[in-house]
Amino acid sequence: MDESALITSAQHGDLDAFNTLVLHYQDAVFNTALRILGDDEQAADASQDAFISAFRSIASFRGGLFKAWLMRTVTNACYDELRRQKRRPTTPLEPDTKDGDEMDSPRWLADPGMSPEQIAEAYELEHAIQHCLDGLPVDFRIVLVMADIQGLDYSEVASSVRVPLGTIKSRLARARLRLRECLQDFWELLPAAFRLHEEANA
Amino acid sequence: MNFRDVELLSAYLDGQLNPSDSARLETRLSSNSQLRAVMDDLREARGLLRQLPARKAPRNFTLTRKMVGLKPPLPRTYSTFRFATVFAALLLFLTFAVNGFSSRPVSFMASAPAPAYGIGGGGETESLEAPAATEAPAAIEAPAQPSTDMQIAPTEMSPATENSARSAETPQAKTGEGELLDQNQAQVPNDAVVPIGWQVGLGIVIVVCGLAAFGLRQLAVRKWR
Repeated sequence: MDESALITSAQHGDLDAFNTLVLHYQDAVFNTALRILGDDEQAADASQDAFISAFRSIASFRGGLFKAWLMRTVTNACYDELRRQKRRPTTPLEPDTKDGDEMDSPRWLADPGMSPEQIAEAYELEHAIQHCLDGLPVDFRIVLVMADIQGLDYSEVASSVRVPLGTIKSRLARARLRLRECLQDFWELLPAAFRLHEEANA
Repeated sequence: MNFRDVELLSAYLDGQLNPSDSARLETRLSSNSQLRAVMDDLREARGLLRQLPARKAPRNFTLTRKMVGLKPPLPRTYSTFRFATVFAALLLFLTFAVNGFSSRPVSFMASAPAPAYGIGGGGETESLEAPAATEAPAAIEAPAQPSTDMQIAPTEMSPATENSARSAETPQAKTGEGELLDQNQAQVPNDAVVPIGWQVGLGIVIVVCGLAAFGLRQLAVRKWR
């Protein structure tokens, strides 16, 4: 995929070229939105909004890392979604168990290739990490998702979030520390390597 | 250890420290177990996040033209037809306006005798007002009886004379009015500044060009889809 050629075509209004970029980046955009918002449906809506907004403003892209530019768009869409949530709080639609209770972690989305134990562990750990992410202030969460989940470097995160590099360093350090503290409550869910280290520290 | 150290450790983990800062921190790490523990905590947090399974997007987020409000590319002839339609419509409106203004005095003249029926007709008023007008100078010349003369003139003329005059002259006046109206009605089309043929022509242009523009647009939209 010749990314720069596709971007140039998209800047001239070629929707097919832009859609090729969408297909390439949609998983990254969706995962970013999912980790920031913590809800599949809202993340899907924010991702769609982000791509629409990206197409409309792609003329303003002046080179650099396209993924970082796209992350800025999805961050803005997430901020919009969070503001909407504040105005109109909603109850997530999660599947009910046989007893009529809501499932804490919806396993109905599981990868069919995994064993039931693996599915349980993966979702429990994922749920725990997401729970801790949700507990972080949104500015910290966004920096953490950009740097540690999407693998952007500090300058790319700074340009995506539009804050100085020093602020990114500070937010990232604080966010990592807070996340680690929060995850100590889910000690039994952590992978063996982390548990061993925890025991050594104790 | 303070928060500045935590920041340095976090940046060191990501390889964001310059070589001299890195070397200084490594020296401290080798001798400070508390610093090492924090470093491990940060590394673990980062490691856990990196281990998070990447979810696949639940659906494709590809955009449709409708989503982004893109319009189909229209042929140049479309704008020509559209312009012609608008221009012809304006001209048609103008012709109606011009004809309306030019026919207004004619219709006024044609309707002028109509209210005159009530007071005895156009010709009659002249004959009635004439004596009053002739008496007016007399009233000025004889200032002793100005008001009486002035009052007498209309009263002498109005009740009896007017009625008899009305009864005598109405048939003639009516027949005269009828002729006048017929003449005026016959004159209206001749007085129109823009002939009706032009208006019909403009109407045809509007319909044809409008339909052509609409057809071209529909064709372009269908092709685009």
